[in-house]
Amino acid sequence: MKHTTMTLCAAMLLTLAVPVQAAGDPQAGRQKNSMCAGCHGIPGWRTAYPAVYSVPKLGGQHAEYIVAALQAYKNGERSHPSMAGIAGSLSDQDMEDLAAYYASSYSGPAK
Amino acid sequence: MNKTAIIFSILALGCSLQVQAKGGDAEAGKAKSATCAACHGENGVSATPSFPSLAGQYSDYLYHALKDYKSGKRKNAIMAGQVQNLSDQDMADLAAYFSKQKGLSIKY
Repeated sequence: MKHTTMTLCAAMLLTLAVPVQAAGDPQAGRQKNSMCAGCHGIPGWRTAYPAVYSVPKLGGQHAEYIVAALQAYKNGERSHPSMAGIAGSLSDQDMEDLAAYYASSYSGPAK
Repeated sequence: MNKTAIIFSILALGCSLQVQAKGGDAEAGKAKSATCAACHGENGVSATPSFPSLAGQYSDYLYHALKDYKSGKRKNAIMAGQVQNLSDQDMADLAAYFSKQKGLSIKY
C-alpha cells in the first residue's frame, strides 16, 4: 500500500517536472505580433511574391492550426519566403502565444 | 443578323465566360461543398482545432491554397486526395462560397 502511494506520488511529480509545452498566452502573443501585424493586420493586404494573393485572415482561426502552419513554415514543409524567415525566428512558446492571441477574443490592453 | 454582329456576340460571350471562370460562383460552390463540410464545418467553422476554419477567409487565398495542394507545392495527405478531382472552376466556386460565410476576421 505504501509502495503504491509512493509510486503514485512519484508519477505525479514526474508529470509536473516534464517540460510540457505551456499553453499559449494571448496577452504574451499580443506582445510578440509586430512581425505578423504588418501583413495579416491590414485589410486586403496581398503578398507580392512568389504569387499575388490576399494574406489570410487569422482572427478567430484555431490555435492548433496556426501552430501547425508556423511549424510547417519553420521546417520547410510549407514554403513561403517571408513566412519561412519569420517562423524560423519563433520558439515553440512564441508560436503557442501568437496562436492563442489570434484564436482568442483578446485584442490588446484596454486603452 | 450581319457578320459583324455575330462576331461581337461571340466575343461578348467569350468575355462573360472568362469572368465567370475567374470569379467563382458561391452558389455553385455551395453545391460542391459537402465533402469539405465534413472537416471544415457546415458553416465553414471547423469543430476540430487541427482543421482550419474557412468561413470568411479571402477567396483568392483559399483558391491559391487549393491550387497549391493540387500541384503538390503544399503538402497535406488529406487535402492532396480531396483536391485531386477538383477543376479550376470547382476551386474558384468553393473559394467564393467559403469566403462569403461569416467567421474569420482581420485581427491586428
